[in-house]
Amino acid sequence: MEFELDEEQQLLRRTVRETVAKVRSRPAGQQWDTYLRLGWLEAPPLELALILEELGYAADPTPFLATATWFAPLTGRLPEGSGTAVFDGVGRYVLDADRADEVALLTHRGVIVVRGTELAAERVPVLDPHLHAAHVGAEDLAAKVPDLALVGLAATCVGACRRVLDLVLDHVKQRVQFGRPLGSFQAVKHKAADMHVAIERARALTHFSALTIAEDDPRRADAAHMAKAAAGECQRLVFRHGLQLSGAMGFTWENELQYHLKRAQACDLLLGTASVHRKALLA
Amino acid sequence: MKLADDPEVEEFRAQFAAFLDAHLPEEAEARERAGSSAHVPAWARRWQRTLFDACWLLPGQPPEYGGRNAGLPQQLAHLEELARRRIYHSFNPQGLGIIAASLLTFGTEEQKRRWAVPILRAEITAALGMSEPEAGSDLASLRTRAVADRDGFVVNGQKIWTSGAHDADVLLTFVRTDPEAPKHRGISALLIPTGAEGVVRRPFGSIAAEDDLDFNEVFLTDVRVPRGNLIGNVGEGWRVANGSLGHERTLLWLSYAERLEDLLRDAADAGAGQEWYATLRMDLTALRLLGYRQLGLDRDPAEISVLKLLGSEAVQSASLHALEAHGAEGLEHPKRTGPYHHMHHEHFISSWFERYARSFAGTIAGGTSEIQRNIIAERILGLPR
Ligand SMILES: Cc1cc2nc3c(=O)[nH]c(=O)nc-3n(C[C@H](O)[C@H](O)[C@H](O)COP(=O)(O)OP(=O)(O)OC[C@H]3O[C@@H](n4cnc5c(N)ncnc54)[C@H](O)[C@@H]3O)c2cc1C
Repeated sequence: MEFELDEEQQLLRRTVRETVAKVRSRPAGQQWDTYLRLGWLEAPPLELALILEELGYAADPTPFLATATWFAPLTGRLPEGSGTAVFDGVGRYVLDADRADEVALLTHRGVIVVRGTELAAERVPVLDPHLHAAHVGAEDLAAKVPDLALVGLAATCVGACRRVLDLVLDHVKQRVQFGRPLGSFQAVKHKAADMHVAIERARALTHFSALTIAEDDPRRADAAHMAKAAAGECQRLVFRHGLQLSGAMGFTWENELQYHLKRAQACDLLLGTASVHRKALLA
Repeated sequence: MKLADDPEVEEFRAQFAAFLDAHLPEEAEARERAGSSAHVPAWARRWQRTLFDACWLLPGQPPEYGGRNAGLPQQLAHLEELARRRIYHSFNPQGLGIIAASLLTFGTEEQKRRWAVPILRAEITAALGMSEPEAGSDLASLRTRAVADRDGFVVNGQKIWTSGAHDADVLLTFVRTDPEAPKHRGISALLIPTGAEGVVRRPFGSIAAEDDLDFNEVFLTDVRVPRGNLIGNVGEGWRVANGSLGHERTLLWLSYAERLEDLLRDAADAGAGQEWYATLRMDLTALRLLGYRQLGLDRDPAEISVLKLLGSEAVQSASLHALEAHGAEGLEHPKRTGPYHHMHHEHFISSWFERYARSFAGTIAGGTSEIQRNIIAERILGLPR
């Protein structure tokens, strides 16, 4: 196999970073329009992962992640999935639920899309004769989380973690204590090195997972769990060391660090934490 | 980026696989164990020679040195096929991978003929004398002195941890030739025959067993070394040392990946169901992916530190977790012989305790984990020294 980004992919990465930096100060709506115009929403899995990594790096405020990965089914074919999120609840008076091809479910882990046929939906009579509604009995529904959604979160998480590390590196190179830059102390260096290795590990697994989706490789289910779990493990380490090495400054609202820490943490919490996906790997 | 295998590499792999199927030593003859990395049983010498003659020993080298000028992906496939059959190409891996390889890079034609080829043909074995009692991680502070005289050098000093020196015929030794020059500059590389007058070797046991002899102290007292044994120029030792280790390091990650794979397979057989198992499977996959990436474009050599750190520490946690999972049973320590016994057909059968203890070889030898972290922080992340 070849595991190096080709020139086009590297170029895409640079373009995305530059574009995002350029539109960052504009209103979210305009940013969104730019992304749509550039066709990012239609990018194949590996390219999508690269875009999402950059958006994660920039703490992007647009609905790109969910649209491109969780709701991708609405614009095309529902990707075969492997991860599961249990939807426990009953949907009452859900419009068109019994005849929809796909249904978006709001679960305690986030919004996911399932095939209509996977729901036990029963049409209910309503007063408006033209309105078609159904109750959805989805008590034990194990809704399929698309692999793409897991990769999307993993890539976003990797981007956010990288940003945290870059901010920390800038800080420890500049901040002087005991007459030396903090970054010259080994206790600091070793934490930075561990963050770097964790990020590289998660990024490799994310790219691998995206590749398995692109090529519909039989390893895709395992790879998606690995990517999501590795991103979660990476996030944990980066959050702890990243905040710690920033000192009190990292504890403030004003500092940019908070956005990236939180984006990374959110990516771990959504659609199953590292521990959930590690267990899924063992199943 | 693509998952598909490169057809050229696969063709190469298939050729080597066919060769192995036809020539692999019989299990019965391969029973005899190596006493150390340089104590080579007769069958293993024959085996290495067979590989050399067929140009399958070091595929990256030209045919006269047992290879076929193959690229890195092919070299990787070669090692993978050997590992799949749980056999190694040589019981003198440092002799082959470091010493012969450095002679081929830095040596004269005469030196290649005199030492590199015999090492490759398993006629002699070689050991690596870098570390000293006062020069471990800070290798450049080595003190062993070599004073030039009319036709060569007179060497005085002490080496330690010299793996396999007690059975080796020759030592690649790093010595200080110029005490006035800055630390890294005054070092030279000398080949010292172990039979030379004034060379005394004292093997001692490893953590695994008192008679698990691989480590050596080597005392050098007024050892006369001819000028023809100098590798590269006087004062170029540091460059030779880095080049020597560089040869080994490129594909070093593969040995961690293989060890980790063995550990995970054996742990699964033993019924490990814990979450650590999943994390270590992720480590293994990531290690292989990052290893393949390393084979891609020209990358910063410092990235090898990422692979070494990730790989050696994953092996260490895998063995610790597996040991813990076995509880009191993990205390058992059936006696085996020699550190290289896993380089045989037979399953790697050391006790879990021994596997954990031995995992520290990876996090200490060849630059400790702490040193790898320093390299990553300074060379990749740009933090100040
Ligand atoms: C199995 C095995 C085989 C070996 N084979 C050979 C061989 O064949 N030939 C040979 O020449 N050598 C060999 N070695 C020696 C090996 O190269 C050294 O052990 C290694 O370089 C570390 O040196 P040291 O043991 O003196 O530890 P030290 O350098 O004393 O280090 C002790 C501890 O301090 C830490 N430390 C040291 N410096 C720093 C620093 N700057 N920052 C942070 N922490 C630091 C280390 O990481 C380590 O944890 C072998 C070692 C082992 C374990």
